Amino acid sequence: MRAEARSGTLLSAPYVLFLLAFAAYPVAFALALVLMHWDLVTTPSFAGLDNVKLLATDTRFWQAVGNTFVFLGLHLPLQIVTALALAVALNRPMMFRAFWRAAFFLPVVISGAVVAILWNALYATDVGLINALLVKAGIAPVPWLTDPRVAMAAIAVMVTWKNVGFYVIIYLAGLQYIPRSCQEAIELDGATAWQRFRHLTLPLLLPQTILVLTLSTINGFQLFIEPYVMTGGGPLRRTFSVVLYMYTNAFSYQKMGYAATIGVALAMIIGTVVAIQRKVVGTAEAL
Amino acid sequence: MPSVTFDHVTKRFGDVVIVEDFNLEVADGELLVLVGGSGSGKSTLLRMVAGLESVTSGTIRIDDRDITHLAPRERDVAMVFQDYALYPHLTVRDNLSLGLKLRKVPKPEIARRVAWAAGMLGLEALLDRKPKQLSGGQRQRVAMGRAMVREPLVFLFDEPLSNLDAGLRAQMRIEIGGLQRRLNTTTIYVTHDQVEAMTLGDRIVVLANGTIQQVGRPIELYRDPVNRFVAGFIGSPPMNFIEGRLDRNGGAAFVADGVRVELGGEREPVPVAAPVTLGIRPEDISLVAAGMATSPVSGTVVLVERLGGTSHVHLDVGPNRLMAAVSQEQLPAVGERIEVYVPSARVHLFDAGGKCRTARP
Repeated sequence: MRAEARSGTLLSAPYVLFLLAFAAYPVAFALALVLMHWDLVTTPSFAGLDNVKLLATDTRFWQAVGNTFVFLGLHLPLQIVTALALAVALNRPMMFRAFWRAAFFLPVVISGAVVAILWNALYATDVGLINALLVKAGIAPVPWLTDPRVAMAAIAVMVTWKNVGFYVIIYLAGLQYIPRSCQEAIELDGATAWQRFRHLTLPLLLPQTILVLTLSTINGFQLFIEPYVMTGGGPLRRTFSVVLYMYTNAFSYQKMGYAATIGVALAMIIGTVVAIQRKVVGTAEAL
Repeated sequence: MPSVTFDHVTKRFGDVVIVEDFNLEVADGELLVLVGGSGSGKSTLLRMVAGLESVTSGTIRIDDRDITHLAPRERDVAMVFQDYALYPHLTVRDNLSLGLKLRKVPKPEIARRVAWAAGMLGLEALLDRKPKQLSGGQRQRVAMGRAMVREPLVFLFDEPLSNLDAGLRAQMRIEIGGLQRRLNTTTIYVTHDQVEAMTLGDRIVVLANGTIQQVGRPIELYRDPVNRFVAGFIGSPPMNFIEGRLDRNGGAAFVADGVRVELGGEREPVPVAAPVTLGIRPEDISLVAAGMATSPVSGTVVLVERLGGTSHVHLDVGPNRLMAAVSQEQLPAVGERIEVYVPSARVHLFDAGGKCRTARP
């Protein structure tokens, strides 16, 4: 028994060390930094609640929070609808199905910075492919990344495209679990294709939808690379996300204590939003 | 009330023939059982009526309406699946009413039919439960209720009892039979279980390899199987078979190692000396009391199974194993040499092709 306990400790040690070094320590460090002033160079000094007080009244921070919610408001519905639609489409028998599935998954494994640069080219106002197609269709070109009204929407579309393959896989797994006989039963019960989706497929995919919602919410709150590479937070700070603001404070202004405070606040916001989602969707599950 | 007609129905997957030139008319209000082993094509036939499998050639009609190429929802048939196929996210009430809602049946009418089916099946107390909160027998009843409320032209049952334990299966079998007689809805019932077929069917179709072996009332199939397959499939415990030949010496008789059964003068179903198989049901064999007139069939007892009311006596007769189902109290011991009586009137003879040559007209 003691030998077993010893080998157990030994086997779990690498992971525990990894967790301590790369999860527990940074979290503890960030929590400590909330109470510090630190410019990365000199010795940190105790700041009391200065950082927290500043955060409460920092309009730029709250604007970034608002921007991030705008992003989520556009991104979450778009992400769920596209992932679900693609999964249902890719679940049907078709030619080269494996190819199509791989094709939609590919952007997931490409670096976010690379995708951002690629979409920068697509979105370019004068020479971008998207505007070229619009012009060809007789529609006026849209300044995708320079118009404050559309820039965040353009980023939301791009992020949705990049991540859709991952969520498609989650939905495809869920679709495998819908019993074939249930699909046949509802067909005999008189359902059209849309009614089959509405009354059987969609409700039975609720667990997957909850998972997709939670994961894309957490992921969406951490929006950073896309505005950093494509817009720098502009135009008119409309795409300035919370993480971008945190990054700017940390590495442009060298206010590590304040950046850590933003990080901790973001974690609390994410936790609250996901808890609210669980509460709402959880009641839907009981229906 | 509707009849179902199969007219030269054939189903192939590529080169594999599942059902071959199937012709049958299911009468209005009849409960027809399709019975056969796995791969016999019985489920495929049912699914072709439902529209869940395409028909390669031939036509299926309900009354005079050709339904061969209609979508499932246009056929007005209801099916009870082996796994019940209840909608897991809906309550019993919603499971029963969804099909009616989709067909835009008015709400009061839905409520009336759900109440009617629930009352008939004893589901009133379960209407607000989800399927996972129900026992196997209750789920089975909900599946039947879902078919009933639709008031379809035809009921289709696809092995509905095979997921239930033995006791429940016997009970549900009785309920299905009673329900079908009350509703008088034309029903096609698929099973691999010959007991279900015998007890439920107005008529039985025995299938093997996608072709009809025999169609008839249960008792006809039991008494007069047309071939060795049907003879072995229908009846429990199954019929005994002994390979042998015919002998003309002093009246027609079946002979095999340790066996001689006189057939009676007028019957000479196959040429003398041609290979032939004798079939005799276990319940038709009786044990001859020791010291009574000698019988030409004798063997050594290898196993005695006492089931209470009846007992199964297994004996080796030459190279053949015979089983007798008897109801007497006094049973021979294992290893004992005994004589048995095989009544010639109960004997079936099958030729080398398996065809029965003693079937009564």
